Amino acid sequence: MLTAALTLAGFLAGLTGTWSPCGFSMVDSLGRGSREGRPAVTLASCAAFGVGALGGAAALYGALAAVGSLLGAHGGHPAAVGAFAVAAAAALAELRGVRIRPQIRRQVPEPWRRAMPLPLAGALYGVLLGLGFTTFVFTLSVVALAAISLALGDIGLGLAVGVAFGAGRALPVVALAPAVRTAWGGRAMELMAERPLVLRGFRAADGLALAAAAVALGTGPAWGSRQVASPASDPSVSDGLIAFDDGRGGVLVGGGHEARLPGGDPALGSHYVAWLGANRIVVFDRSAGRVQVTLAVRGVNAVAVSRRWVAWRARTRRGERISAARLPSGRGGRRIRSIRGPGRLGAPDLDGNRLAYSVAGHRGSKIAVVNLRTHRRRTAARSRIRQLLSPSLRGSRLLYVAIGRCGQQLRLHRGRRTRVLLRGRPLGRTDAGFDRGHTPQGSGTGRCPRRFRITRTMLWTTALGRRYAYVTLLRPASGRGVARIVRVRR
Amino acid sequence: MPERSFSDEVAARTSRRGFLDRVGRILLGATGVGAVAAAVPAGDADAFHFCGHTYTTGSCPHPTGLPRVDAHGLPLRAGDGKRVDDLGRVVNREGRPVDGQGRLLRDPDGRPLPPAPRTAVCAGVAREYGMHTQVDGSWYRCCGGFVRRLMDCCSYNSRRINGDSALTGYCYSGRKVFCVHYYQTKVPC
Repeated sequence: MLTAALTLAGFLAGLTGTWSPCGFSMVDSLGRGSREGRPAVTLASCAAFGVGALGGAAALYGALAAVGSLLGAHGGHPAAVGAFAVAAAAALAELRGVRIRPQIRRQVPEPWRRAMPLPLAGALYGVLLGLGFTTFVFTLSVVALAAISLALGDIGLGLAVGVAFGAGRALPVVALAPAVRTAWGGRAMELMAERPLVLRGFRAADGLALAAAAVALGTGPAWGSRQVASPASDPSVSDGLIAFDDGRGGVLVGGGHEARLPGGDPALGSHYVAWLGANRIVVFDRSAGRVQVTLAVRGVNAVAVSRRWVAWRARTRRGERISAARLPSGRGGRRIRSIRGPGRLGAPDLDGNRLAYSVAGHRGSKIAVVNLRTHRRRTAARSRIRQLLSPSLRGSRLLYVAIGRCGQQLRLHRGRRTRVLLRGRPLGRTDAGFDRGHTPQGSGTGRCPRRFRITRTMLWTTALGRRYAYVTLLRPASGRGVARIVRVRR
Repeated sequence: MPERSFSDEVAARTSRRGFLDRVGRILLGATGVGAVAAAVPAGDADAFHFCGHTYTTGSCPHPTGLPRVDAHGLPLRAGDGKRVDDLGRVVNREGRPVDGQGRLLRDPDGRPLPPAPRTAVCAGVAREYGMHTQVDGSWYRCCGGFVRRLMDCCSYNSRRINGDSALTGYCYSGRKVFCVHYYQTKVPC
């Protein structure tokens, strides 16, 4: 929704830009060919103008996003809060029709249209108008979108906004310039020039689009996240590849290609990809292009793989169990942890010789890390207040989900330092805290007393890549939950 | 006709014995009227921030706001009396998160979601504020057509959850009220 709202805002901001002195001048200048009986010149000039506008706008917003990325914005929580504030303030200003101050009182060079061939001049004019800040600006959206692109630091999003803005700037000029001598073209120009309400309406539309962007930023289950796949769950990453289950089976994505795997719940690790079949685990060697080993495991429902180990979780008669075996032989399988009752033992994750898993229960939850070579076991995190779930290991870093009464967090833990990469709303709503007809005095105690805005979407399984952290956003249901995967810069 | 002698009548009007008899009757009558007068308005006890609670001590922190608990002190959602865990999710008897119809919530693989702790509200206070707490005494009042048990969560802390001085309330042995919660019975009143 965020991408859609910002792209729409960019397009509308481009359209609103037509009301500038330069916008009117472009319609008039590029329409010269039509007036002189040379419509081909006008069409060529319009095409060049369109290309220039798209290029200039994409360069501007893409560059701003790249700068934001370099500055470390990465769409993290503070950046998302800043982007939300800008979008909300600009939306309000646009809806109220606030005058643009300070106004950029510059125009494109007039002599170009006389000194150069018209198509070349059109292309250069397009670049300048696409750059937005080089001439008069009649909407605050231009500035707001620039700030948002910078804050979010997402180059793909910046380019999308830029292309939309360029298209918006080009479309009215390209549509009106060839028709400037026709009756409808004249009426359209008259309407634009003499009815301030039309401009006011476009600015209001700009405001609504920015408001939608603010809503998307402010109400998203995880601020600053980008969707990777939907429906999809249980991500696993390695070497620039991502594998997940889309509900119909395993999918492997990387290098612009997508491949369907012959099993579900896939896992990546080193040069292996593993997937689950009916009561069996298949470990496939990607570099050799052959199945390395197949293990028969009754009730298996999750798998993890590394260069030396394959680990899995399987249902047992009383509950669930995590086990591991050596690779490449697949032998030496041993039990790591058993627990009574289904759904309490998290899926395993492997990094080298280390295996991580979560255990959740009525007395609290914890994340354990086991060295499969030395058999050394330690508790990496424990809580009696929060639910700690779905760990992922990568080197010295541990990614996991923490769900508490006050909200949800995707945490990246390294040494003694813990960073929150994503935040989500709490899962449980509160009432007012006092009975109807009574005073509120004495209510609202505790750490997060009043939670009226909640979400049904919970942070679920995770994966930790070199640049991004991945998490499944799960909407639990009584049948099967619905899930999608988002990523955030780590 | 009552069997009362003339001498008794005289004594009753004039003697010290008669005076004491009259005083005793008046006191008895006054006490009875007072008792009746006190009992009459005990319909719904509408006092401070929730029905039945008197004075100003704040609610114990509760996953869903109003501090309703079950007979064991575990949290219930005040509106409908459903069990909730420490995260505020509606759960079943086993502590598993469920939907509005009581069906288990599941992940995309169909596995039930993991349970979270469900801590007795007064014990949760101890954990959150780092002190020993316990429920001592309680009092019952009529609220919403049912008998409600008002329970104090007591501690040796001289400050209550509001931040000011704590009161003795229904606490014993030098403990004072830190916060309050209630148990709604199914006894009509």
